[in-house]
Amino acid sequence: MPKLLIILAFLLLVINTHAKGKKNVIVKYKQYEKFDLGNLEIKGKVIAPGDLSVLERKRKVFSRDLFERMNFDDKIKNDIKNLR
Amino acid sequence: MRILLIFIFISLPVNALMKKAEKIYNSGLNAEKSRVISYELSKSRYYFSSAIFAKEYLVRNGSIDIDFEQHLENLILKTGTLTFSQLNESTLKKYKTPSLKFVLGLKQFNKKEIYKAINTLNKFPKNHRFSPESFFILGSSYAQLGKRQLSKNAYDTCIETSTELEGQAENVKLKRYFAIIKETCLIHFARVLFKLNKFIEAKNIYQNIPKTSYRWPYLLLERAWNSYKIEDYNRSLGQLVTYKSPLLKSYFLPEVQYLTALNYYKLCLYDDSLTKIDQYYKVYKPQSEALKNFLIKHKNSHTYFLELMLSPIKEHESLNPYIRNMMTQTRKKIKFNLDLVNYKKAKNEFKYLKKMNNRSALIKVLTAEVYRTISQRTRYLNHYVKKGMFDFVNDIHRFSFEMFNIKLEIMSNKRDLIYKNKKLISNRSRGSWENVQRDDTQHLYDFRGEFWADELGDYSFGLKSNCKTVKKKWEEKDA
Repeated sequence: MPKLLIILAFLLLVINTHAKGKKNVIVKYKQYEKFDLGNLEIKGKVIAPGDLSVLERKRKVFSRDLFERMNFDDKIKNDIKNLR
Repeated sequence: MRILLIFIFISLPVNALMKKAEKIYNSGLNAEKSRVISYELSKSRYYFSSAIFAKEYLVRNGSIDIDFEQHLENLILKTGTLTFSQLNESTLKKYKTPSLKFVLGLKQFNKKEIYKAINTLNKFPKNHRFSPESFFILGSSYAQLGKRQLSKNAYDTCIETSTELEGQAENVKLKRYFAIIKETCLIHFARVLFKLNKFIEAKNIYQNIPKTSYRWPYLLLERAWNSYKIEDYNRSLGQLVTYKSPLLKSYFLPEVQYLTALNYYKLCLYDDSLTKIDQYYKVYKPQSEALKNFLIKHKNSHTYFLELMLSPIKEHESLNPYIRNMMTQTRKKIKFNLDLVNYKKAKNEFKYLKKMNNRSALIKVLTAEVYRTISQRTRYLNHYVKKGMFDFVNDIHRFSFEMFNIKLEIMSNKRDLIYKNKKLISNRSRGSWENVQRDDTQHLYDFRGEFWADELGDYSFGLKSNCKTVKKKWEEKDA
């Protein structure tokens, strides 16, 4: 029990010290930066062709769903209704 | 004088039977008495009145004998299934007799209770008066579930039993009735095959329906769809062009115009298709507007359409030609004819009941009940005619939308051709014998602007598909 009290007192001391050591940090970002793209050097092997290219793909054709008879169920039902 | 004597001779026993029924009725009603009264009234040829007590007996009792079954069969034939289909399902289910099973099965099918209808009709006897109709409903129930073999078996039994009854019938109208059921069962089986994409088999069955059949003109459209499905667009167009024959003038179906435009579209004959579509809008739009206005004016009436059907043809001359044609079509329908006959019988019965000098309790009850039956049937028949007309207007609108879709698709295809710098192989491909597909049962004659009755339905166009594209030349582009 006394050991536990000592450990707790130690922990409280550490937390208190840490809280006191925290300062208000102000982060400042560069307001302006210039990149000279022409001067940039990329190290490594060039595996893509120099010019810009777009892969050709087949144009998607959206066709309308034109009505086609799949069955004559409506007519079957109608025939029964017309039975007697 | 002789007619008067015959009338007195017939009416005397009728009155005696009526007296007997009155006597039983006045002594207090129970199940057995209802049965006897029903018999007595039936003997006096008061069938609608008899049906009232037959229903009373069915509600009160728990079993029926062969005698009463035959009596019920007769009453259904004389008054129609509608009389007994008004009974509760629980009452109809109580009895295992074929006549009531038929009524119950029909009622369940119309309520879309397909499994119940199958359960009711699957053990129906083959030697009953209602066997053709019952197996017809059974086959259609299996067809709705896509069960080919079971539906075929039921339709085969329908054909077999209706052929037998057609042979036995002495009355010409009855013979025709069974012939129509037989053909309808055959047509329904072709429809099952169509649904299962067995188009060649369906085609062979459709060909078995004689041109003299009442059903045949309506079948042309189905056959045309079948030809379309096997990509024989020329045959499909030929079948559809048959509707232009003077004999089939009164058959006008918006779906025919749509399928014609679709066939041209499939052959890449875009200009022909567009002409058909424009024609549809030009012809149908004003007509459909006129028809719609006419229908809306009378839509709440419970009698107008029936009165129109019953009025002399001369009075219809001022009406829209579509309405006249629709009326002709409705008059040709078996259902309408049978119901109309029953309706007239009920009216006649009511007239006799009303004329009776002796206003006993029974006569008063019968007069009121038969009057109620007439009112119900007036509404029912009126609704039948009205619905047919409304369905037609709806069909015009529906296919107008579908036609518009074809138009959009053609415009889109034409735009794509321009983008690809291509054109169709020819602007307007015309016919040639080489493009006509035919089997060994189909003959070949050329069409010279006249429709011959024996050729109807056997036409085929000879148009070459125009779907091949070619690169556009520079000169053409500049032009």
